[in-house]
Amino acid sequence: MRDKYAIAGTATSDLGRTGMDSLALLEQAMRRAIDDAGLEVGDIDGIVSRGPDDVYTHHQRMGARLGLDVRFSTSLDNGGASQILAVALACMAIDAGLATTVITGYGRNSWTRTHGSEGDRTQMELVPQDQLPKEFAPEYGYFAAPATHAFGARRHMYEFGTTREHFGGVALAFREHALRNPDAVMKKPLTMDDYLGARMIAEPYGLYDCSLVSDGAGATIVTSLERAKALKQHPVVIKGFGTFNNTRGWLVEDHMIRLAAKQSAEAAYRMAGLSPTDVSTAQIYDCFTGMVIAQLEDYGFCQKGEGGPFVASGALRLDGTLPTNTSGGQLSEAHVEGMLQIVEAVRQLRRSYPRERQVPDAEVALVSGHGGNTVCHSSLLLGRAS
Amino acid sequence: MPLPAPSIETEPFWAAVQERRFIMPKCDACGTVSFPPTVACGACAKTSFTWTEMSGRGTVYSFVVYHRVYHPAFKDKVPYVVAVVELEEGPRIISNIVGMPIAEVTCDMPVTVVYDHIRDGYLIPKFTRSA
Repeated sequence: MRDKYAIAGTATSDLGRTGMDSLALLEQAMRRAIDDAGLEVGDIDGIVSRGPDDVYTHHQRMGARLGLDVRFSTSLDNGGASQILAVALACMAIDAGLATTVITGYGRNSWTRTHGSEGDRTQMELVPQDQLPKEFAPEYGYFAAPATHAFGARRHMYEFGTTREHFGGVALAFREHALRNPDAVMKKPLTMDDYLGARMIAEPYGLYDCSLVSDGAGATIVTSLERAKALKQHPVVIKGFGTFNNTRGWLVEDHMIRLAAKQSAEAAYRMAGLSPTDVSTAQIYDCFTGMVIAQLEDYGFCQKGEGGPFVASGALRLDGTLPTNTSGGQLSEAHVEGMLQIVEAVRQLRRSYPRERQVPDAEVALVSGHGGNTVCHSSLLLGRAS
Repeated sequence: MPLPAPSIETEPFWAAVQERRFIMPKCDACGTVSFPPTVACGACAKTSFTWTEMSGRGTVYSFVVYHRVYHPAFKDKVPYVVAVVELEEGPRIISNIVGMPIAEVTCDMPVTVVYDHIRDGYLIPKFTRSA
């Protein structure tokens, strides 16, 4: 599928503390993405979406909001790996002749739904209550995503000598990028002292290792490269994508330090005919700092175990060798389960940012998506159309 | 304190724990211990199992120290350790590491099962540093 399809439009909703419904956020992002492409709503003939996990046939709800009957639509259920999968599925649907112009997107109102009342505030789980584990978890006080991911961080520290300062380097680099992004939720600089001095959540993870609880949505318009060239924006071409899921689980073998990202990356690089050295900017699924370090290794930007020193070298900064999460990422822009990472990759490849935010000469962007009980992964390689 | 809600498949495990016994299903064909239970053996796909006494020994594969309180029952318990314990027989399970200073818990540390009352006399298996 290399070089056949393109992202012709993209947008985000309002981000942060919006007081909005998750479906409304996504509708806002989708309508903005349609405008961004220079299209009309009626030009869309496919929808691939993902909603909060308790919304049944989410894509239908979006079609109703947009006022659209479509040739192809479905909702995905692969956690943070869904958003790239939606772009891949859009390409496949178009390739199969089932649609010509597919809108994808994801939105959630994590801040609003957890801050409506004091009870909501203590219950930060976004998974529906009846789907939470009922044994081998609550009786041990094992709750919420930080601890699950911190198991991986702890084992990475133990096996490879990774330090909290290495994790902090990720948080600091992305915060610095957020300060250049007026839409980012986090507005204040972060120092290593701030990072190390912050309260612990599930050790080794403290406050700044954890991504934000924020509202937001993002959307993309996928169509043929040929059609995209006739539209308003400079097209961003889909070079390759890949997926891999360690479905046996996070606790099995070395899954928590060698992520499904490795095989997913290999599939994407193969489809694109590219290698890590071709990547101008990476937008990595940063639910927690340690997950960035593990993925940088799995994507081949450094050897397994060397992610900590790679971060400490300054590589992730805008002026570094691999400018990463240049919008601030989920740690400092807003956490929309990887959706905003796709938006940012497209914008960097359009080269439309002011100089202080632009990756110079951006040619190829890598986006990663991770989730589905921490073991599902998707990869997307995008390129600037010639 | 939340009690575990056993499923049809895990009920024998929890019933044995109440008698301070630590049992898991062992494949009659190849000897693989699978936990949580599945319909067929993950290694050889045979469907005949026997609930078998485990050694109760293992190592800490990884662990975290909870500081944030997510449930009112744990308000006075923080900081506490939640660990992934790798049992000698193979399976990895979630548990707590208890009866030792938190600062001395390490990955790959050998541990042994202990039983802890959590509410109304209900027992759950936890682990402590092996003697």
